[in-house]
Amino acid sequence: MRLKRYEDMNLQELDVMKEISSIGTSHAATALSKLLQKEIRITIPEVSILGYEETVDKIGYMEELVAATLVTMSNEVNGLMLFIFKKDLANAVLEKLVGVHIESFEELDELAYSALEEVGNIIICSYVNAFTQLVGVEIDLSVPGSTVNMLGGILTVPIAEYGYETDKLMYINAEFIMDGEKLSDGLLMLPDINSLNGILERLGVS
Amino acid sequence: MKFARGDSRIITYALGSCIGITFYDPLIKLGALLHIMLPARVDPNDPKVFKYADSGIKETVRKLTAFGMMKNRTVVKIAGGAKMFEMKGSSDFGNIGQRNAAMVKKILMEERLRIAAEDTGGAYARTMLIDVSNGDVVIRTVGKPEKHL
Repeated sequence: MRLKRYEDMNLQELDVMKEISSIGTSHAATALSKLLQKEIRITIPEVSILGYEETVDKIGYMEELVAATLVTMSNEVNGLMLFIFKKDLANAVLEKLVGVHIESFEELDELAYSALEEVGNIIICSYVNAFTQLVGVEIDLSVPGSTVNMLGGILTVPIAEYGYETDKLMYINAEFIMDGEKLSDGLLMLPDINSLNGILERLGVS
Repeated sequence: MKFARGDSRIITYALGSCIGITFYDPLIKLGALLHIMLPARVDPNDPKVFKYADSGIKETVRKLTAFGMMKNRTVVKIAGGAKMFEMKGSSDFGNIGQRNAAMVKKILMEERLRIAAEDTGGAYARTMLIDVSNGDVVIRTVGKPEKHL
C-alpha cells in the first residue's frame, strides 16, 4: 500500500526505519568519534513521527537558541536532512576542535560556526552513506547550509517545505554518549512521500 | 488563529518562513493573531483553513466581522516570512517565506485591508505578540532589542 503521509507508516515500517536509523546513527557516531578522537557511544535511536509542536517539545523549546545544519537530498531520494546542535553537544565539539567554550550561541565566531557546520555535515553525510548502502539507493547531497536561531523557526523549514504533503516530521533521536555524558542532538530525516514509498518498497516492507 | 477582546495578549512563537498577521480594531478593542504557514489552500476540502494565507485571512476577516470589526478601522501588521537557511547553489530552496509574504499582501489588498507596519524577510525567526488592550505589536528576535511595530 502506498503511503500518503508519514503518519500512515505502520509499526513494521517504523521498525524498519528504526533499524536503518540505528545503523545510520552509529556510522555518524563513528565519524564524530574519529574527528574528535574520543570514544563516543550512542543509544538506540527512537524514530518518531511527530507534529511540529511535539518535535519542538522533544528537542527543547520554541525560542531556544540552537545551531542547525541543513542538507538537501536529491536523485533517488528527495528530501531534507536537518541536524540540530544543542549547547552541550556544540560545546563538546568546539572545545575539542577549536578550543572554545560558549555560554550562548550568540558568542560563536566565524571559525566556531564553520566548525559546527562541518561537523553537522559530516554527521549527516555518514548517516546518509550508511542509508544508501543499506537501502541500495543513490542519494546526492547538497552543500550544507547553517544557521543559529530559534528552534521553533528552524523547524518551520521542513514543515513549510512539505506542508502540502504532511504536517509531521520524522525525528530520529539518538543520544551521543561522550565521557559518560549524554549529549542531546536532533537529527531529522525527511524524504518526500514518493521517496519514502520507494524506500519502503526497496526494503520489501510495503 | 486566536482572537480576543479587551485586556489580553496573544502571542505566536518563533515564526520562521511562516507569517504572523495581527488585526486590531481599536474602537471595540478587538484583536486577532493569525499564523499562516503556506500561501494557498490548494485542496478545497482541507479543513485547516488557518494554515494558508488565502483561506486563513478570509476566514479571520469573516469571524472578526461577525464580532463587530469594521475594515476601515482595522489596523493590520505582519511579520515573518524569513529565509532560515541560505543554501549555496540552490537559491530557490526555502523561498517559501517570500511567497508567503507576497500572498499575504495580495489577499489583504483584495480584502481592502491596509498594512500599517511590517517586519518581514531576513534570515531569522520572530516571536510576535499583540496586546489587545491597546493594539501594541511587539517583535522579539535573537540578539536584538524588542521592536514595536
